[in-house]
Amino acid sequence: MNDTNRILDLFNEKNSLEEKYFMPFLVCGDPSIEQFISMVKKIAPYIDLLELGVPFSDPIADGPTIQEANMRAFEAGINTKVALDIIKKIRTFFTKPIVILTYYNILIQGSETIESSLDNTLRRFKESGIDGIVIADLPIEEAGLALKYCKKHNISLIFLIAPTTTDDRLEKILKEAIGFIYLISILGVTGAREKVAQITKETIKRVKEKIKTRIPVFLGFGISKPEHASAVAELGADGIIIGSAIIDIIKRNLSNFSKMEQELVEFISSIKNAIKRSN
Amino acid sequence: MKYNGIYPNKCGKFGDFGGIFAPEVLMPALCELDEAFEKYRNDESFKKEFYQILESYGGRPTPLFYAKRLSENVGCKVYLKREDLLHGGAHKLNNVIGQALLAKKMGKKKLVAETGAGQHGFATAIAGAYFGMETKVFMGKVDIARQAYNVYRMQLLGAEVIPVESGSKTLKDAINDGLRYWITNVRDTHYLMGSVVGPHPYPLLVREFQRIIGIETKKQIMELEGRLPNAIMACIGGGSNAIGIMYDFIENENVQLIGVEAAGEGLETGKHSIALGLGRRGVLHGSLMYLLQNEYGNILKSHSISAGLDYPGVGPEHCFLKELSRLRVETATDNETLESFQKLSVLEGIIPALESSHALACLEKIKGEFNKDDIVIINLSGSGSKDLNIIKQRLEFKVK
Ligand SMILES: Cc1ncc(COP(=O)(O)O)c(C=O)c1O
Repeated sequence: MNDTNRILDLFNEKNSLEEKYFMPFLVCGDPSIEQFISMVKKIAPYIDLLELGVPFSDPIADGPTIQEANMRAFEAGINTKVALDIIKKIRTFFTKPIVILTYYNILIQGSETIESSLDNTLRRFKESGIDGIVIADLPIEEAGLALKYCKKHNISLIFLIAPTTTDDRLEKILKEAIGFIYLISILGVTGAREKVAQITKETIKRVKEKIKTRIPVFLGFGISKPEHASAVAELGADGIIIGSAIIDIIKRNLSNFSKMEQELVEFISSIKNAIKRSN
Repeated sequence: MKYNGIYPNKCGKFGDFGGIFAPEVLMPALCELDEAFEKYRNDESFKKEFYQILESYGGRPTPLFYAKRLSENVGCKVYLKREDLLHGGAHKLNNVIGQALLAKKMGKKKLVAETGAGQHGFATAIAGAYFGMETKVFMGKVDIARQAYNVYRMQLLGAEVIPVESGSKTLKDAINDGLRYWITNVRDTHYLMGSVVGPHPYPLLVREFQRIIGIETKKQIMELEGRLPNAIMACIGGGSNAIGIMYDFIENENVQLIGVEAAGEGLETGKHSIALGLGRRGVLHGSLMYLLQNEYGNILKSHSISAGLDYPGVGPEHCFLKELSRLRVETATDNETLESFQKLSVLEGIIPALESSHALACLEKIKGEFNKDDIVIINLSGSGSKDLNIIKQRLEFKVK
């Protein structure tokens, strides 16, 4: 089981980088544990990878939409143990790559030392079926231990790159990056935005020019519409990530679950279609 | 013991503690701040300007006052370092003047800060006005309600107070929202951290600006007594007033350093802020430190009668000093604190901040350890005038 990493498999196929990929983000356990699993089942056919947030009490990189989703998940009883169970259940029907997004403190508790906790937690996540991990508050400078244990457990440690990332640091990050690059499209926290920022185009171009290997670039933060998705795909991103715009649909329909699922499927399939057209 | 100038290392580590656990968007700003600080910290004209402002505007040096009646009462020689007399009523001014001056040199136009009780927010508003920089202060909704007077003071100084609705709506959430704001406005804005917490270089920066307290204290006690004190005591919230007075005594191993955390309603109630004493290692707000947290790594709510100590973490350097057994960690409950608050008011005519009263309360608890000639210095980090609303709910006097 430790041998497979579905992210690496996906991007290792011949010519696969000609395609555009779509990875939606949901908070694990939002709005409730059962509804969450049901939702994933419904959207599974329209997505290429799945990103799951494992909530932290103090998520400084997240805007109000995801903070509220975290609160709903906490109320539904989410914690590391429950998240692992949820991922295991998803793995009974979902065969595409799963990436989790969390904060460092969630990964370094549970055993005697920080190092043994990290080893242990990453092993358990890998066993539950994840392929990659994004740690929102772990810059390359602090990532030594996480890299060591992600390698040990064959998990791709996905690094974030921001519009403010200097060329120096960009090179350092690209040297360690495995799986794909998570490019933050804006100066800001997560949250749906009306327009694709100008800064996005420059950043994609700058990053693409620096990449010497075959690593794909995914763009996230602020994308909220099919037009954005196709626009950024045309700008050269290999994949897009949408979180807050999807979670807004959940929030809007908390009292009507079937409508929630229906709107989610409509929105997610419209994104998939939009980027397919630009393939 | 060789200590000064060694910690933190270049990566911001105090042993295992500290570091830079920050979102990628902030990394360039933190690197820029680090570089700017390294450039200016030994720059004579910067140091001179910093000190001149603290002198002419802030009222430095603050007195080291021999508290005669309190000394008689507790049975050893007690000196109070009067940071309560600094402009703004607390040690906070040292830090905000230092950081705002640095931000100005870096070409930043705006300041953003978090505040719990409003003390640091008020100080930041002072610095904003002094340097003519636009100032935003994030403050939890709960704190706004219980500290209306401080909100008003900040507004009077022209700062914008932004209510924080997320999480527990208190200090830690104000830091979260302040950092989120900074993430979005990082290019023209300096985040003015209020204590020795946060990602590197903040714990270093804030310590260096607060060191003036200890440097003065050392000189003053040598002039007054011709010898170093037996102990120095200070309350610990994030830890800035404590490290400020203690840093220049760390290598003097005969001087006991005693930090006092808020025991709130009592250890056994779980309603306290004893991060150093009872916390587990973890990462919050960019730094590895001892934290009050649950088994899964989510942060717990802290409690204290004094908003300035009401924080579930503690500065990385204090964690390290505790691990080195150089810092002794004690606690005082809300009730013990109130008693000492009243005692100092009556005995010396000084109304101390509730935060600082924790250090006074601890002295009361351990006074048996000291002889008549022993010298104990307490950092009186602030004035209690900001706390009168809270005190009044607990302590009423009748007019006959
Ligand atoms: C008077 C006073 N003392 C102490 C503190 C606690 O902070 P620190 O531990 O950083 O000194 C505060 C914080 O607001 C304060 O206002």
